[in-house]
Amino acid sequence: MKPSKALKIGLGCLALATASSFAQEAATATSRMWTDSKGRQVKATFVGLDGDKISLQTDAGQIFTFALTNLSAEDQTLAKTLKPAAAYVAVNATVGQAAAAIDKLVAEGLAVGAAKVAKDNAATTDPKQQRVVPKANKLMSDEQFVRRVYLDIVGRIPSHDESKAFLDSASKTKRAELIDKLLDSPGYASHTYNYFAEMLRVKSRLEQDNMRGDPYIGWLQKQIEANTPWDKMVYEMVTADGKMWHNGAAGYLLRDIGMPLDNLANTLAVFLGTDVACAQCHDHPFADWTQHQFYEMAAFFGATTTDLRTAANRKKGKDQMAVVDVRDKLMPEIEKMIESAGMDIRRERNGIQNYIGANRYVISDMESNTLKLPHDYKYKDAKPGDPVAPKLITWSKSDASNPAYKTSKTKKEEKLRETFASWMTHPENPRFAMSIANRMWKRAFGVAVNEPVTNIDDPEKSYNPALLKHLAAEMKRVKFDLKAFMRIVYNTQSYQREATNEEVPMGEPYYFQGPLLRRMTAEQAWDSYMTLVLGDPDKYKQPLEDLYSRSIDLDLTNPKLDAKTVLMKYGAFRGIAAKERALEGGGLEMAGEEMMANKGGKKAAADDTMMENKSLSYGGMVLRRAAEIEQPARSGHFLTEFGQSQRLVIDGGNKVGSVPQVLMMMNGKAQEMLTNKESLIFRTMDKVNSPADKVEAVFLSILSRKPSLGEKDIAKRGMEAAGGDGFSNLIWALINTREFMFVQ
Amino acid sequence: MMLKSELNRFDSESRRAFMLRTAKTALGVTMLPVSSKLAQAAAEGRGGGKAKHVIYLYMAGGMSHIDTFDPKTGETKGAKDPIKTNAEGMMLGGYMEQMAKQANKIAIIRSMTSKTGVHDQGNYLMHTGYEPRGTIVHPTMGAWASHFLGRATKSLPDSVSINGGAANGAGFFPPALSPIPISNPETGLQNIQPTTSESLFKKRIDLMNEFDAGFRKKFQSSEVKAYTEFYDETLNLMKSEDLKAFDLKAEDQATRAKYGMNSFGQGCLLARRLVEHGVRFIEVQTGGWDMHNYIDEAMGRTGGSMDIAFAALLEDLQSKGLLESTLVVLGSEFGRTPNINENEGRDHYPKVFSAVMAGGGIKGGYVYGASDKDGREVADKQATPQDFLSTIGYAMGLPVDEVVMSPSNRPFTVGDKGSAITELFA
Repeated sequence: MKPSKALKIGLGCLALATASSFAQEAATATSRMWTDSKGRQVKATFVGLDGDKISLQTDAGQIFTFALTNLSAEDQTLAKTLKPAAAYVAVNATVGQAAAAIDKLVAEGLAVGAAKVAKDNAATTDPKQQRVVPKANKLMSDEQFVRRVYLDIVGRIPSHDESKAFLDSASKTKRAELIDKLLDSPGYASHTYNYFAEMLRVKSRLEQDNMRGDPYIGWLQKQIEANTPWDKMVYEMVTADGKMWHNGAAGYLLRDIGMPLDNLANTLAVFLGTDVACAQCHDHPFADWTQHQFYEMAAFFGATTTDLRTAANRKKGKDQMAVVDVRDKLMPEIEKMIESAGMDIRRERNGIQNYIGANRYVISDMESNTLKLPHDYKYKDAKPGDPVAPKLITWSKSDASNPAYKTSKTKKEEKLRETFASWMTHPENPRFAMSIANRMWKRAFGVAVNEPVTNIDDPEKSYNPALLKHLAAEMKRVKFDLKAFMRIVYNTQSYQREATNEEVPMGEPYYFQGPLLRRMTAEQAWDSYMTLVLGDPDKYKQPLEDLYSRSIDLDLTNPKLDAKTVLMKYGAFRGIAAKERALEGGGLEMAGEEMMANKGGKKAAADDTMMENKSLSYGGMVLRRAAEIEQPARSGHFLTEFGQSQRLVIDGGNKVGSVPQVLMMMNGKAQEMLTNKESLIFRTMDKVNSPADKVEAVFLSILSRKPSLGEKDIAKRGMEAAGGDGFSNLIWALINTREFMFVQ
Repeated sequence: MMLKSELNRFDSESRRAFMLRTAKTALGVTMLPVSSKLAQAAAEGRGGGKAKHVIYLYMAGGMSHIDTFDPKTGETKGAKDPIKTNAEGMMLGGYMEQMAKQANKIAIIRSMTSKTGVHDQGNYLMHTGYEPRGTIVHPTMGAWASHFLGRATKSLPDSVSINGGAANGAGFFPPALSPIPISNPETGLQNIQPTTSESLFKKRIDLMNEFDAGFRKKFQSSEVKAYTEFYDETLNLMKSEDLKAFDLKAEDQATRAKYGMNSFGQGCLLARRLVEHGVRFIEVQTGGWDMHNYIDEAMGRTGGSMDIAFAALLEDLQSKGLLESTLVVLGSEFGRTPNINENEGRDHYPKVFSAVMAGGGIKGGYVYGASDKDGREVADKQATPQDFLSTIGYAMGLPVDEVVMSPSNRPFTVGDKGSAITELFA
C-alpha cells in the first residue's frame, strides 16, 4: 500500500474517531499527530520501526507500514527515538514474539482490573462487598497442560501412552512441540470441524426429502484439514453456486432453503459479530439497526434462488428445463418399468418423485434483485412491498473511508453476492477479522474478549479493548490462517496458566487470569470415551461419504436423461443405508492395533476390516468420533444427553447437567463399555503386573495424571474390598468424577 | 450488548424477574391485561385452570381428518362409512369404533388450519405455536408450564416425551426444562437400572466421591456444584418409590391388552401411570400417518391402534377419577387431501384439519367449528395452531397473555398470541 493512501485513509478515520469518548481517552495517551513530507496529517500511534519502514496504528486500529522517508524530517527524527508499542508484532514475528505481545496486553488488562477492584474495595467498608483482587493464576503443571491441550486442540483426552510420552519427555521445548504436533494431527480437523458445525448449524439431514448435509460436511472438513484461510472459506460459502453435491460450499445457503432472511441474520451474527435478528421483523429495540437496513443487506441475496424451478421460470425456458417437466416426461416410462418388474407403482411413485425432486435444490443467481419490503412494513421511510436496493451497513461513521467498502461495485445484479462477500471477508472489514479472532480466543479461554461473540456492539466496551483490537490485527497479520493464530494463543503464558477457580462475579468483566474452568463439550466427552475405547479414534472415518453424492445426482437440465438411469440410481440411493449398516459391524475386541498383534489369530481378520473401512460398534452405538457420525445425534444418544447442539441455532450446544445425563454416566452403555474386560483400558492394564502400576495406568488413561499417595491408598483399599471387580470400580469411579468432566 | 452477557449469568428466578422488568421498561410493554373473553369465561365459572396434567397425543405425519374426526359422505368419503357415536349428532370416521363409545367425553375442533404443508415445520408449529426460525428455538408446552408453575413433583420430571418428541423441547428456557425422553415404553426410563448389584454400586459411588474430593474443594464454582447436585438428584431418583411410575409390568395383562400391545398403546398406558404419580406434561407420539398410498390399509393399522389406545386412555382416566384434572389432546401437523390420489392415498393438507380435546374441564360430545361439505375449507370458526396451544395453556391456568423475554431479549407468549377457545370448556 502506498503511504500517501495510507495516510489519507488514516485521516478519514481520524475525522470520526470521536464517536466514543472512551476510545479517545485511551488513544490520547499514546497517539499523536503525524505529518508527512507533503504536509498532510494523521493522528496515529507509533508501533515500531523496522529498518527503513515505519508502522503507525490509527485510532481505529488499522496498522499501516510505509517508508520512513515519506514522513516529514521532524517526524523521521522523532520516530527514531520512540520505543515500539507494547503490542506491536512484526510481520514475520516468531510465535514466541507474537505470544509475548499478547501476554503483555493481558497483563496490562489485568493491572487495570486489579486497580479497579482495589479502588472499589477501598470505597466500601462492607466486608461482603470486598472482592478478591484479580491476579494472574499460577502457571500450569505438565499434567494439567497435556490434558488441556489435547482437549482444546484435538478435542479428546490424551491416551495413556500419549500422556506418558509427554510427561516423561525431558525436552525443554516439549510444550511448544506438542502444540505443533497436535495442530498437525487429524484430531485438530475433527475438533475444529465440531466447533464450526455447531456455529453454522450443520445437519446430516435437512428438512427437505432426501436432502443430506453430507457433501457440505465433507467440504467443511476438507477445508479445515487443508487449513484454508478463513476469509477464503467464508467467501466460498457465501458465493457458492450449484448443487450441494457438486460444490459442498453450497451447503451454507442450502442449509436454510426457504428462509433466506434467517440465513442472513445468522451470516451477520456469525461472521461479523453483529446481531440484527430483531431487525428482521422490526427496528432493533436497543441498537441502531433498522428493519430497512436489514432488508438492504438482504437485497445482496435478492437475486439468488435455491430452487431450480424458480430460476427456470424466471429465465422462461432457455436451456434450463424445469424439474416438473422432467418428472412428467419420465414418469410414465418409469411407471411401466416398475410394473413390468412386478412391483406396485402406487407404493413406489412417491419415493421416486421425491428422489428426483431433491435435484431441484440448486443455487443460482438471476438477472435481478427481486427483494421487496414485507407486507407488514410499518415505518415511514418506505411502503410495504417496495423494492429494496442493496446497501452495506456501517458500524461507525469512519467506516465510509474503510477500504472494505471500496471493493469493486458491480452493476450486474447477478454479482451481488460476490460484492457482499468481498466486503464481508475483506481484511479491513471493521468486524470480520475481529469476530473470528474473538471466537478463537474464546475457544482457548472459555470466555471471549467480547461477550457475546455474536454481538460486538462496541469493541471499546469489551473486557480488554486493546487486546481485542490486537487479536484482530494478528488475525490479519497471519492472513486468516486459523492454525497459525491458535498456535500463537496456545503458546502464550496467559493460556498456560491454571484454570480460574473462583466465580467471576455477575456483570463484572473477566481479566483473563487464566482460562476458565469449563465442562467438556458433548463432543469432547464422547471423543474422550472413544479414545478410552479405541486408543486412536481418528482411524475410524465415516465410510461411503461420496456414495450419497453419486447416487442422488440427476442432471435435470439434460434432455437425454432417461428412465433407466433414474431407476438405477434410485436403486443405489435406496441401498445406501444397508451398505452403511454392513460397515458398522465390528466388536470391541478389534480396538487398538498393538493389542491385536498380541492376540495372533485375530490380527489378520482385524487388518481386513480396517481395509474395508469398517467401524466398530457397541450396544447400538457406532464407535466413531462425533464428527464422523450422524449429527445432531438422535434423541437418547450419549451426545444428545450431553447437550450436543440440535444445530437449530448458532453455538447451540449446552454444558449443563441433567438427570438423564448422569444416568447415562452411571448406568449407560458407554460406561459399561469401559468397565467391560474387553475394553482397551483393561488391556492397557494387562501390560503391567503390579496392582500399583495398574492403578497408575488407569489414572493416566482417564485423568492424564498419576495418582497421589492418598489416592493410591484409596484405590488399594477399594481393590481389596471388591475382589475381582476392583478395576471396573476404579474406572467407573474416575469416569464419574467432576475432575474427568471438567477441563482445567 | 452488555445486557445479554449479564443475563446469561442469572439463575432462572432472577432471570425471569429481569426479563419481566426489561419487558416493562426497555420495550415499553407491560403485562397485557387478560383478554376480555378469558375474563368473561372466568367470571361465569367456566374455563381454564382445571388441567393439572396434560397428555398430548401427537399423530406424526399428518392425520387424515376425513377418515377420523371429520367424516364425509360425499365425493371425498374414504373407504369406510362414517359411524354413529354415543354423543348425539357426532359422527366419526369408520375406523374409530372404540372412540365412538367415548365420544361423549371429547370435543372435536374441525376447523384447524395452518399455512404449512411441510412435516417438520408443521410439527414445530403444533408444538410451539411458532414457525421455525434459524435464530431462536421456541419452547414446547411442557417447558412453558414448568417456567410458569415450577416443579410439579420432587423427584419425577415435569415433562416426559414418549416415542419421540420435539427436539430441544425447552427452547430458549434452561435445558433442565426439557422433557425426559422415553424411547421405548416397555423399558421405561433409560439407564435407570445400575449395571451392578446395589452394594457394588454404592461402593462405586463412595469411591467416586473420595477421588473427587480434592477437585471439588479446589473448584467450588456453581457449575461444579450443580453437577454434584445432579448426581444427588439422580441417586434420589434411582431410589425413589415414584420410579414405579415408569414400570408397565405393574399393570395387569388385561389392562395392558386393552390399550393395544404396541408402542403407542403402551405409551398411552405409561402416560396414565405418570399422571397418577404427578407428572405434569406427557407427550405420546405415534408415526405412520403420512399415508400417501393405500390409505385404507394404513388407516386400519395406524388409525386402528390410535382408536383403541385413545379410547382406553379416556375410559381408564375416568374410572380412576383423573379425567377432570387431566386434559387429553390429540393433534397432528396437518390433515390430508380430501381427494384420494392416484396411489390410493391422500397427500398433505394444512388448509383444514381436526384436533381433539377431552378432560381437564373440556365439554364432552361437543364439536367446535366445521369444514365444508367435502372437508376442503374451513366453513365455520377457524382455529389456528396458536389457538390450539393457547387453549391448552389456558386449560392449565398458564398466563397465556404474559410476554416473556428470551435471553436474546425477544418477546414471546404461550401459543404466540393465539386465542384460547373458551367455548370448549364446560
